[in-house]
Amino acid sequence: MNSFGIWMGIAALFIIGLGFVWVIRGERYFGYLWWPYVLCVGVVCVIGALFISNDWVSGLLGAAGASLIWGGTELKEQAVRGELGWFPYNGKKIQPPFVDVIKKWKAPSL
Amino acid sequence: MNFVGLAAALATFFGVWLGHVSVRKIERDTIRLWIPTTIFILLGLACLAASLWTSSLPLSTASGILAVTLFWDAFEIAVRQPKRIQHGHAPANPNNPRHAKILAEYPEATTLDLLDRDPIGRAYTAEELTTMKERAQ
Repeated sequence: MNSFGIWMGIAALFIIGLGFVWVIRGERYFGYLWWPYVLCVGVVCVIGALFISNDWVSGLLGAAGASLIWGGTELKEQAVRGELGWFPYNGKKIQPPFVDVIKKWKAPSL
Repeated sequence: MNFVGLAAALATFFGVWLGHVSVRKIERDTIRLWIPTTIFILLGLACLAASLWTSSLPLSTASGILAVTLFWDAFEIAVRQPKRIQHGHAPANPNNPRHAKILAEYPEATTLDLLDRDPIGRAYTAEELTTMKERAQ
């Protein structure tokens, strides 16, 4: 019997649940145009997890990185949800660095 | 190199992605939701068993995470997605009798996929939202 995976599953559930919170809050205050930075942090977490010898830390970091990558692709849809009035709308968003370049890229949405 | 984290990442990302896509599609096309709900619970239990059985930590991690996401998908199919249809937060399928009933009973329900648009950088006005919904009818 190996209970490691089940604990990772329960941890992933909380990490994904946390994703709901930061995508909603993050989009409200910062806007969806931060998506490339979020994706990069996620990728760095997943790559970093490869070099961590502690299995618990590596697993948690990998799941958190994947959740960041997924969340990065959710930000655009969340922006639309806010504009439709499904969530409180904040018009004064803190723009990311190089926002004019990012605006020319197509934001991912899966 | 420790592959536990990579296994966790792949299972989390693809578990969420597949769940996101399949829950919408299955709930939209199914009349009796208990059937896919039961299938997802059984698949989750199979992953749970695999996770407990295997001695490989990466495999145990991936199947443990997939088990939990499959259980969550079952809950989404049975409870959360039908609620989105009722509120008009996901498009109703008029060809599905169960959805046709929701369309008749819930004024907020719509066949329009309101999320299928780019952000415009401001909140929609009440008039714009009304026009949007009228166009769907």
